[in-house]
Amino acid sequence: MSSADTPMDIASSGAGRLYRGQTAIVFTQRRRVGLVLSAVLILATVVGLFGRGLELGIDFEGGQSWDVPAATVSISDIQDVLDDLGVPTAGSRLQERSSDGDSTIKVQLVDTGDVDPVDIRAALATTAGVAVDEVGSDLVSASWGSDITGKAVRALIIFLALVAVFISIRFEWRMAVAALVAMSHDVVVSVGVYAILGLTVTPATVIAFLTILGYSLYDTIVVFDRIRENETRFAAHRVPYTDIVNVSMNQVMMRSINTSISSLMPILSLLIVGAGVLGATALSEFALALLVGVVLGTYSSVFVAAPLLGVIKERSGDWVERTWETASGDALRSMVLGGQPVGRRRRDASPSEPDDAGHTDEESSRRPADASSLMGHAPRPRRRRR
Amino acid sequence: MARLWATLGSFVIVVGVLVGINVATDNSPVLGLDLQGGVSVILQATDPASADDLLVIRDLIRDELESLGIAEPDVRLEGENIVVDLPGVKDQTQALRAVDVAGIVELRPVLQCVPGAVGPDGLDGLSDGQAALATNDGTQTCIVGPSAGSGEVFARGSAAPQLTPDTGSWYVTVDLRDDGRPVWNSIAAACYAAGSDCPSRQLAIVLDDVVQSAPVVNQPSFTTGVEITGSFTEDEVRDLARVLNRGAFPVGVEAQRVETVSASAGDDSLRAALWAGGIGVIAVLTFLIAYYRMIAAVVVAGLVIWGGLVYSLAAFVSQATNYALSLAGVTGIIVAIGVTVDSYVVLFERLKDEVRSGRTPRNAAPRSFAATWRTIVAADLVSVMAAAILFWLSVGSVKGFALYLGLTTLCDLVVCWFFTRPASILMASRRAHASGRILGLGGSQ
Repeated sequence: MSSADTPMDIASSGAGRLYRGQTAIVFTQRRRVGLVLSAVLILATVVGLFGRGLELGIDFEGGQSWDVPAATVSISDIQDVLDDLGVPTAGSRLQERSSDGDSTIKVQLVDTGDVDPVDIRAALATTAGVAVDEVGSDLVSASWGSDITGKAVRALIIFLALVAVFISIRFEWRMAVAALVAMSHDVVVSVGVYAILGLTVTPATVIAFLTILGYSLYDTIVVFDRIRENETRFAAHRVPYTDIVNVSMNQVMMRSINTSISSLMPILSLLIVGAGVLGATALSEFALALLVGVVLGTYSSVFVAAPLLGVIKERSGDWVERTWETASGDALRSMVLGGQPVGRRRRDASPSEPDDAGHTDEESSRRPADASSLMGHAPRPRRRRR
Repeated sequence: MARLWATLGSFVIVVGVLVGINVATDNSPVLGLDLQGGVSVILQATDPASADDLLVIRDLIRDELESLGIAEPDVRLEGENIVVDLPGVKDQTQALRAVDVAGIVELRPVLQCVPGAVGPDGLDGLSDGQAALATNDGTQTCIVGPSAGSGEVFARGSAAPQLTPDTGSWYVTVDLRDDGRPVWNSIAAACYAAGSDCPSRQLAIVLDDVVQSAPVVNQPSFTTGVEITGSFTEDEVRDLARVLNRGAFPVGVEAQRVETVSASAGDDSLRAALWAGGIGVIAVLTFLIAYYRMIAAVVVAGLVIWGGLVYSLAAFVSQATNYALSLAGVTGIIVAIGVTVDSYVVLFERLKDEVRSGRTPRNAAPRSFAATWRTIVAADLVSVMAAAILFWLSVGSVKGFALYLGLTTLCDLVVCWFFTRPASILMASRRAHASGRILGLGGSQ
């Protein structure tokens, strides 16, 4: 590998280059891979949503409840009885309630599966050692009414509109479009995971989806901030937008990997330690939603938001004219490292008419390299060490 | 340099004092229904009510509780009962007072008002349906005719206190419902005519057998809304508006009994979440130290300070506002660890880039921080916006989530500016660290 174009040694292994931030992956060439993968995920979500639908918990759907006198039984006894009967307890709620010395255990179930509610009542009475009549039975309404959903949706719409305005002002509207598309992609696919795996949706799940939404936007903005910075940095070089996207992706790759590892570790620990070892199932489903969301949030910033932004930008403003061949290999690496486009670049459009400065095609193909002299502030040369 | 040391030192002291105060006063975050349990009040309708009526009451009770600052109540129907579970409420009387929000508002024509309090049997000769009721300030007793309509004529939640800026006088406006307008207008017309039913031309607004207000009807019919004017204080106007909004209850409800509720997720969930969080944090720190070497000390100290700050604020906020920390909140904080660590990762990667392209760490640190700060502020602002809007506009557990999301994100920004900035710049400027080795860059030089 020639090091003539680059100011420093390049690691020979892929991992070494990754560690030193010397990668030169042409992300935009792999655009289609991301596109196909995302399309498959969304298709699976649609199939899951319309095929199985979402399993809603007792807070959304209501269900049935039984009041068991709790003089001699505990919550775990009741849990065992329900498990023995084969009653699905996902999304159910067992609570001990007491007033004036009397305590009862309230059992609330979304649905009883194939088990006859009468049998459940009888089994509960037997366990508690009381007559069947003493086990109160009632229907329970949803506690998460439609007005809560309505208010949350309204808040979300206003938030998204403001985020679009914020990104448009801080960056530009095209980035707002790309960020919101990536975010929708993440939330939709996370919901799809719930539908496909048949997990019960509880209010905590809704919170998990909101967390995913926030994380996805956060991650995308960090990536877009670097793209924005590179737009300014390469402003004088007239490089195509795909180069800017590729350079930025390579520069933030290590950060994206490290951040997602750091975010995933606590969630994995929640999933494995919390749910697996200590046996708190409420945690496991919540952690699963977050796990999927964080992975998707990182994935979509790099493989959905950035390529989409590239596609939109290539067709707008000055960028349309910049049809240089996309940089790859050492040329791209040099841009990733030092910030200057180097090497001979060929214009894709063939006509050799003189451009506005009167240069011929042959000359103009060298312009990116020449333009480095336009940079006001070249990086300081590295101290030589022998 | 001295200023950086001063910032660093004073910030660490401030956080230390905050944590110290919380530990000394034994102030810990109030935990939600799922983690700690709470108090439950069972309400029953005083008259037969349809299922739809009960659902309306469920939503109204929740709104009332939230507007009174009782956060995240779990309100649902069980059979004919309305069950209200309250997190963070400590005793039964407090719970009963909190849910005493439902009652029907009656509109009754006033026959006559006399000064002074009069006992229930103090006035003879009341005909059927008439009653002698005290006014809410206790100075007058009014003899009112039978109920002519209920507060359901008013649009839900439309009553609001208003102020005339010129005169400084307070009044209340309330909108009429489309289907309530004919009822209201027929009562108003009867009173405006000052017939035998309503000789005083006053219409009493009655809640729980107390006359809340008895305005004189000044026009026979109303189109969209009603203004109630008088010599009110601001507090009186707010109370009246609350009464009118409460009038939307289709039937009255009363508390039957109070129960204490055990945690539904239970101790083991909280313990599991805390264990998982602890192990997760240790894993993250191990990873970061292995990757970034010495400068990861900044992350370790930064996370400890961030944790102390979040804990103190969570304890303070949950005690002061009734927003209890639920299981979702605890796990949300665990996820926030990832976002917080990200600000360090962005900074360190930037620092490594700068050092690789030939700068000394001393020179690169302030520049890297400036660039990182721009990125972090942009990204965190979105989270803060999400938190603010969700907190402001939504209800229930979504609101509680928003509160803790905003809290952790603001803590991230504060720690980033007051701790990470001075700590990383000071660390990078040590002469011993000039080689870039503190960043784990030894091999690439």
